[in-house]
Amino acid sequence: MPRVRVDLAKCVGHGRCYVLAPEVFDEDERGHCVVTAAEIPDSLAEDARRGERNCPEQAIRVED
Amino acid sequence: MPKGRDEAPQFNIFSAEFARCPQPVYAQMRKACPVTRTTLTDQPVLSRYEDVAWALRHPEIFSSAMDMQMALGTERPMIPQQIDPPAQTRYRRLLDPHFSRRKMEALMPSIRRHANALIDSFIDAGECEFDEAFAIPLPCTAFLDLLGLPEQDLALFLEIKDGIIRPAKLRPELAADLEGQKQARVGSGKRLYQYFERTLEERRRLGSERDDLLSSILSAEIDGEKLSHTEILDICFLLLLAGLDTVTATLGCNIAYLATNPDQRRRLLERPGLVPGAVEELMRWETPVTAVPRLATRDVEVGGMAIEQGELVTLLIGAANTDESHFPDADTVDFERERNIHMAFGAGPHRCLGSHLARMELCVAMEEWHRRIPDYRIKPGETPRFSPGIREALYLPLVWER
Repeated sequence: MPRVRVDLAKCVGHGRCYVLAPEVFDEDERGHCVVTAAEIPDSLAEDARRGERNCPEQAIRVED
Repeated sequence: MPKGRDEAPQFNIFSAEFARCPQPVYAQMRKACPVTRTTLTDQPVLSRYEDVAWALRHPEIFSSAMDMQMALGTERPMIPQQIDPPAQTRYRRLLDPHFSRRKMEALMPSIRRHANALIDSFIDAGECEFDEAFAIPLPCTAFLDLLGLPEQDLALFLEIKDGIIRPAKLRPELAADLEGQKQARVGSGKRLYQYFERTLEERRRLGSERDDLLSSILSAEIDGEKLSHTEILDICFLLLLAGLDTVTATLGCNIAYLATNPDQRRRLLERPGLVPGAVEELMRWETPVTAVPRLATRDVEVGGMAIEQGELVTLLIGAANTDESHFPDADTVDFERERNIHMAFGAGPHRCLGSHLARMELCVAMEEWHRRIPDYRIKPGETPRFSPGIREALYLPLVWER
């Protein structure tokens, strides 16, 4: 199953990930990224990658 | 040895012509040199995506502490915009939750109501000047809602805001008088401090727990301590200056683009679900806030060019956002762009505090406008006029079938 990691030192709360892929990413109180589950089913892999691609800080990594 | 300023080509990024259509100039600047210079003021400009992103993420070299240089009528730095980390981080921790996407969504119904009330006021005329009629009042009413201030203060706010940002708009005799403009800014800044002093005083006296931003700021604590009176004033100053003009400018840029690109507008009408993507893509393409300034804290080299300590550096976000190296087919406006990592809201620690509010306001405004006025164009024989810096469509006459 693909793994999703977020580098919280890089995240500044643009919020693109949880808007574009709400099933994989959520927001904390400050609007910074929270990964809903470290391992995701293959069916959500494309969603996760959409979040990864669109993060302006390149804080997200999706690993197969 | 890095190359010095004499070897950097100069570009004029303050002309009305540039403001109307900056993208071709951006391309020239990116190609010419990693660090170009402004005409007249001879200040360094970064225009490549990589360089702008790097500078935004290194506040220890490119500092935001430059309240004096900007001369916006403030008596102290605006919080948190003109403060560097780590102090800035503490303020952001406190403010971010009040501007989260979730919090902003709660304001959506009232923005929708405001947008429709404005449209009601001019739709039957079959024409309007978009800036005055819609783009200026909408973000201002949203701002009053957010802070919990009375709607009848709208006119006062608009006057103070213009007095600070565009003193010559209210007093044309100041157009060529920079010193006069500076003094007008200080005067308007004083009025703004006074307004908030009065309001805060009232809130403290009433002591009532209200569910709005101003009340939250009043009771907020950092490390167990409440914010001081001046800290609160400096936050309010920023909210007003950063929150109004920027959304106004974006609305104008978006509608001007769609008025002159009917095919794109038709796509949006056929598929209203494209609105959020269109808002992102037009933020990238138009980049209404064309640049942000930073102060070099030390001598630094960018792409082999020297920037000296103490220089005011322009980070040309608009040029970064149209850089082919990060946006395939950068000159194509694509509402379904696969990867849109534009920096229209900045990047790094100073990412626009109000970005989620702005996005929500823009989406609602675009939806309601196109639902009610789907076919519009620039009034025949007229030419829109844009301001440099923050590209507000100061004059955008539109017509539609009644």
